[in-house]
Amino acid sequence: MAETIQELYLHNPMIKKRWENFLKDRGITVFADQEVDTIDQTIGLFDEQDNLVGTGSIAGKTIKYIAVSDDGSGESGSRFNQLVSALEMKLAEAGHFQIFVFTKPQYETSFQHVGFNTLAKTDYGLILEKGTPNIDTYRKGLPQKPEGAKSTVAIVMNANPFTKGHRYLVEKAAKENDCVYVFVVNQDVSLFTTQERTQLVEEGTKDWDNVLVANGGDYMVSYLSFPAYFIKDQDNAIKYQTALDASLFKNQLAKPLGIQTRYLGTEPTSHTTNLYNETLKTILPPEVDVKEIPRLTAGSGQNVVSAREVRALIKDGSIEPLAQYVPETTANFIKENLDLLQKRILKGQKINGN
Amino acid sequence: MEIKQTAMAGTLESSDIQIVLSQGSNGIEFDLTSDVMKQFGDDIKQTIEDVLKAFKIDSAMVKVVDKGALTPVIKARAITACQRALDMKDQPQWEVL
Repeated sequence: MAETIQELYLHNPMIKKRWENFLKDRGITVFADQEVDTIDQTIGLFDEQDNLVGTGSIAGKTIKYIAVSDDGSGESGSRFNQLVSALEMKLAEAGHFQIFVFTKPQYETSFQHVGFNTLAKTDYGLILEKGTPNIDTYRKGLPQKPEGAKSTVAIVMNANPFTKGHRYLVEKAAKENDCVYVFVVNQDVSLFTTQERTQLVEEGTKDWDNVLVANGGDYMVSYLSFPAYFIKDQDNAIKYQTALDASLFKNQLAKPLGIQTRYLGTEPTSHTTNLYNETLKTILPPEVDVKEIPRLTAGSGQNVVSAREVRALIKDGSIEPLAQYVPETTANFIKENLDLLQKRILKGQKINGN
Repeated sequence: MEIKQTAMAGTLESSDIQIVLSQGSNGIEFDLTSDVMKQFGDDIKQTIEDVLKAFKIDSAMVKVVDKGALTPVIKARAITACQRALDMKDQPQWEVL
């Protein structure tokens, strides 16, 4: 048996067609541009007659679109292993030693056999991880909760930027509990950079010493666990991905860290976030409670405080009304960096997302 | 010696072994996946640990996926992983080999 691995260049329409047909025959049917465009490299496995018998792709640090043909010769397992090795080698060349896979639940054991660990599993999907850093090193790097803390809760926020609404939510959690983890979404695709967002959350929550601010890493509302949050998508995809995100949070973070409750703000305006909240409420209980806090309203009580509103004000350069939406720390930062922020918007940074 | 960069050697194909070395904080820590873990798990770890010792590495995270490799294969893969991790691919350590 001499099966060889070759690179597949998908920008060649003939090759792309062949690749799509191969995958379609094996039950992978979604070729939306937003999925395919993220692919960095695709490889194919060919047998002696030059038939395509397996393929796999890498996108950033995730493995996607992997399939092998099973002709009953018992080769499918070794083909799969050969493909995963080759993909891992390519990822290692690109400097990625932390690898993720999104796949269907029935392939869990195939990936576990080549060293992957399951992060989250639902009826429709599965996320696995291999390499370092991993969820263990992430958990070890988190700030330690004080000894004797009885009620521990968590809030996950993008905080783009940190508003009075975020502050209100944190305040409520901090007053009602011994320890509050605030996880800031790591994905750097927002108007404010991850570092700026984290800094503003830290400054804005300084008054409570039972609040621990941490980066959400790859594990909370990231492209990995929740791509649709950043890419507008159909409702089903959102439900499927939020379920994975919620189950990852529940099993890999809430349980080991002893988090009993997750605090949320109600979401009257953002469709995606609203669906996300609904999913959290179905998946997290009974082990983890979900507490939904009504959103803070500004001024006369008609408008909810939202970071989107703040970004619109930044775009217009109207500094005065900011004070009713954001705490002083955030307002100062915006005043000092108004030029920079407006430049980012001019450069095409979207501000009407989440 | 300190591990300078995460490094990988070997494949996941039958009779081979994949070894990934990365910085550790707590001695040599193993994460081994093998179908023959019960029978040969300790031998595999020992073989790799001996190679690490020869390179004077005393702190590392060693992630291993074994697909039934024989001892000389394990040794060869471990040596390559060490040389890559220490960034000395071009200066073979003859006394280790």
